[in-house]
Amino acid sequence: MLRLYMRLGIPVLVVCIVAAAGLGVTYAMTKDKIAAQDREAKAKSLRIVLGRAKSFVELDAKKDAVVYEKATAAAVDVRVDGLFRALDGTGAQVGWGLLVAPRGYGGPISMAVGVDRNGKVTGATIASMNETPGLGTKVITQKDWLPRFSGLDTSAGTESVRKIDTIMGATKSSRGVRKGVGAAAAIYTDVLKSLEGGSGQ
Amino acid sequence: MKEWMRVLRNGLSLENPLTVLMIGLCSTLAVSTKLEGAFFMGIGVIFVLVMSNVLIAAVRKFTPDEVRIPIFIVIIASFVTIVDLVMKAYLPSVYSFLGVWIPLIVVNCIVLGRAEAFAYHNTVWLSVADGIGMGLGYTVIIAGLAAFRELFGSGQLQFLGATLVTMPAFYRPPNILLLFPGAFILFGLIIAGSQALNRRIAAKDAAQAASLKEAV
Repeated sequence: MLRLYMRLGIPVLVVCIVAAAGLGVTYAMTKDKIAAQDREAKAKSLRIVLGRAKSFVELDAKKDAVVYEKATAAAVDVRVDGLFRALDGTGAQVGWGLLVAPRGYGGPISMAVGVDRNGKVTGATIASMNETPGLGTKVITQKDWLPRFSGLDTSAGTESVRKIDTIMGATKSSRGVRKGVGAAAAIYTDVLKSLEGGSGQ
Repeated sequence: MKEWMRVLRNGLSLENPLTVLMIGLCSTLAVSTKLEGAFFMGIGVIFVLVMSNVLIAAVRKFTPDEVRIPIFIVIIASFVTIVDLVMKAYLPSVYSFLGVWIPLIVVNCIVLGRAEAFAYHNTVWLSVADGIGMGLGYTVIIAGLAAFRELFGSGQLQFLGATLVTMPAFYRPPNILLLFPGAFILFGLIIAGSQALNRRIAAKDAAQAASLKEAV
């Protein structure tokens, strides 16, 4: 019996060990490049929503775990992907960059929202999504829609976005985007505003 | 060499995975909305198919029949992970377009199907031909379908950030081409076309075989 186990087990074991070694090498070779691409992609969408900022410093997932916890609670069912302090050239904080992912029609919509120190939305952009071409994608192709979020007051939290209409034919997608901005507004008013550099001049 | 070329050609025509064997269709319908994404999906599939075919053919003598499937899957999944990591590092825009379809190559019917039906019973050298032939057969169809859907469905054809062709301004792209029904209809037409082509190739092969027999 033992011989049967050995006969069947050893080939599988050998293949797994070789595969693990190969993957380890590939991972080590691509790790830094992937991390750099990821940072670049995040910075790119943050720069779109908060052009005034020169750099973005992410709140540390470990050190600021409590902030993330509170932010997730404030966002309700919207995923929080990252919170960033937006700094100008002198290192002074000009606002916050938030990466959130509300649910659209075709899964999560990854988006960036900027909020300045007066609690006004500075812009919202979509980094990636999987909405239906020609219908859900109207949230991007209808060029005058996303800019409507700029200047929105966040003091009403998730309710702040009520006055922005959804798009006909892209109801679920635009509702998703709206929810994303609403979650960002709620995170700002409930959590970030009271942090150092959060509000006031 | 003749046998090698025949195996290669079969993947492209007589046994084309998409139009004849009709396997691996889900990714074909899903990612064929953009030429760029479909092209790199094809490259990824060719890489995984050739590499896993080679490895599976190489270890086939040491593979106990009872546990061949876990061994195939480990080999295939490893190469897919390599494609996943490399694409994430060097082609992030393509990677985000393809999304879940890259990891799904692990369970792509073409890859496991060729491992089981071909590489497990043939030499390494022939398995290379099968991998390239099947991979190209997949890539040609998916890229062609994507080029058509992107050009006529969105009004322009792009590749790596460069716009190749733009339709004239009066052209109103019909939405259906980018949706699944459009993919189904177009794919049906492609099957019909390739069936007609394959019938000719098969007839030529038969005629050749007959004249060979006569000569003997």
